[in-house]
Amino acid sequence: MLVLGAERLRLDMNRLLALLFHQGVLDEQFLQLQQLQDEDSPNFVSEVVNIYFHESEKLLRNLRALLLDREFSDYKKMGLHLNQFMGSSSSIGAKRIRNVCVAFRAASEQNNRAGCLRALEVLEHEYCYLKNKLHELFQIEQQRMLAAGVRYPMHH
Amino acid sequence: MASAYKEAASVPEQFPVGLKVLVVDDDVLCLRILEQMLRKCMYSVTTCSQATVALNLLRERKGFFDIVLSDVHMPDMDGFKLLELVGLEMDLPVIMMSGDDRTSLVLKGIKHGACDYLIKPIRTEELKNIWQHIVRKRCTVSKEHELSGSLEDNDQQKQGNDESEYASCVNEGSDGMLRTLKKRKDSKDEEDTELENDDPSTSKKPRVVWSVELHQQFVTAVNQLGIDKAVPKRILELMNVPGLTRENVASHLQKFRLYLKRLSGVSQTHGGLPGSYCAPLEPNPKMGTLGRFDIQALAASGQVPPQTLAALHAELFNRPTGTVVFPAMDQSALLQASMPVSKGTTIDQNVAYGQPLMKCTSNVLKHFPQNFTSADSVHSGLGTWSAKSPVKISASDNLNGLGGQNGSGMMNVMHQQTQQIRRPHEQQQKQSTIPETSRTINVQPSCLVVPSPSSANFQAGNSLVSANQSRSLSGSSDIDYSLLLHQSHNPPLGTGRSQDTELKHASVIGGLSCDSYSSTSGHLQGQGMPKNTAFFGRATPIPSHLYVDETGTAIANGNQDKMYGEITGNRIKQEPSMNFSENARGGIPMLQRISPNDLMSVFHE
Repeated sequence: MLVLGAERLRLDMNRLLALLFHQGVLDEQFLQLQQLQDEDSPNFVSEVVNIYFHESEKLLRNLRALLLDREFSDYKKMGLHLNQFMGSSSSIGAKRIRNVCVAFRAASEQNNRAGCLRALEVLEHEYCYLKNKLHELFQIEQQRMLAAGVRYPMHH
Repeated sequence: MASAYKEAASVPEQFPVGLKVLVVDDDVLCLRILEQMLRKCMYSVTTCSQATVALNLLRERKGFFDIVLSDVHMPDMDGFKLLELVGLEMDLPVIMMSGDDRTSLVLKGIKHGACDYLIKPIRTEELKNIWQHIVRKRCTVSKEHELSGSLEDNDQQKQGNDESEYASCVNEGSDGMLRTLKKRKDSKDEEDTELENDDPSTSKKPRVVWSVELHQQFVTAVNQLGIDKAVPKRILELMNVPGLTRENVASHLQKFRLYLKRLSGVSQTHGGLPGSYCAPLEPNPKMGTLGRFDIQALAASGQVPPQTLAALHAELFNRPTGTVVFPAMDQSALLQASMPVSKGTTIDQNVAYGQPLMKCTSNVLKHFPQNFTSADSVHSGLGTWSAKSPVKISASDNLNGLGGQNGSGMMNVMHQQTQQIRRPHEQQQKQSTIPETSRTINVQPSCLVVPSPSSANFQAGNSLVSANQSRSLSGSSDIDYSLLLHQSHNPPLGTGRSQDTELKHASVIGGLSCDSYSSTSGHLQGQGMPKNTAFFGRATPIPSHLYVDETGTAIANGNQDKMYGEITGNRIKQEPSMNFSENARGGIPMLQRISPNDLMSVFHE
């Protein structure tokens, strides 16, 4: 009974992941993270994703602050923030966020403030979507682990 | 770490295991992911979120890291700046990484000497392979050094007084060497001092830390003068930094030249790129103009005394900025010119070096010499070796298997040398042990198969003793090996470890394989060179003993009385640290010194 429940939850997880892949929200880099999880760092994926959330929120705040500044002109600094955002997003496989960052950076390189603001809004939207979905994913995983009575998720 | 070493020792095929990687990235997320990935690849990872901290770490622990992975965009220091400084100061392979995949950026990385440029997201598969850059770097470095001789000569001729001073010091022989060694003992990083042979008086001066700013000033000055016309004195004048001495500048200039040479090597290998990208000094003219600008600004603000200004202006007008680019082209032309001469051997050796590398324990491999160079290779080799080998000894006690044997091989020579040094006047006693030596050797199949080497051996044994005076490089490897054998008859210096030494030593001898020996014997006879007799059946011990031999020879060439202080000094200093990770960078030079003949016999297996 328990095992059946765990199996059902595992299927749920796979379905959610498949959806996110299909939507282009995540890419195979996320699977890389899952493969990196092992006995030595059993919560690697959630640990890394939490760092990502923390860093991303900081970056989004900074970007917004930069753009809302009336005398804003520091496109270079914005470019640096975006580079970091791109780097970290691609590192966890947040494909769609990365793509928005690329567009954002293109706008900032052209000193296109309106384009930047639009891109920022899309970015924030994408970020919220990813965050919700990943939270959902981790919740299912937690339930699955409880149901299966195993400490470490097996991804193979 | 310890477990990684055990693994490395027991499974020598797994070379990259335990490789020391420094990761620098301001992004904590990437840092964490990379750490985990590298850990999965069995590398030993150190992470650092600030470039300046990383640079300090690299400076403090020279020779500790094998490779550096660095992000491009970092707030405190540009990744390219870090790359340049690392390339300048320690010649480590540096891999750049960035989420930014623009071609211009990748090209900038290559121009600055990055051995690879990874675009984020980085995959574990890409990291698994990074050890190749370490091996490749060693290969090119050894190739470079073959070529560097002629280049150096050329440079020195151009340099006039300053450089001939340096040359004469090198030729001065044992006295000069002693001073360099003493100097090395004082300094923390042997790499830095390796090139400081230019003037023995440097030893009294405090070490100069070449900060980013100071280096920038230096580069500006060099560019103003033109790299081939830049002599330390002029640079010093141009830099006008209080407390900086001509010697400091001379040493840095030499490193800078080597760095440029390396860069031009890089651009040569990337021959497919357009010419403008290849010019290794391309960014420097900019700095040159900057420097010019600064001087004019200074002049305007009246901060520079009129005489200096006059001198500076003379410099500026006599030397067009364009000259900055040409020296590099000269160098590459020279490189190419000297290519055909040594081409055959170079290629052979590259192939040859590559082969045994794979068979060695990571323990040995990861410590290829950083700068095992031309004229002062003996000096630098000695410095490195004597500084590090005591640590290696401590480590080998805790290791079993091949790694341990290597260590004990080192140990034996070490003791051997120490003993020789200890009793420089007891050569008679040494002579009396030589018959013993040859007896031991006769137990080996080598002497049964090839009778002649045993006599060569005997002579060699004598010649080693005389090598104290003669400084002859002709001492064959037999000498040292034989001494290595009779080593077990003499109590080693460190009595606490004496038993280990003997045991491990025995196991080395036991490791001889008759089968492979017979396959090598053809070579031996074909070559008719006694040098090859110290050759063993197993792949892994071979390099170690060859190395040991080489080192032994090298040391025998030095002034041993004077070496003593050096070795024991370091022993005492370093033994308690028992630092595995730092053990014996000295263990590596052998790989470059293995002669093609020896390697051929490796292939026979």
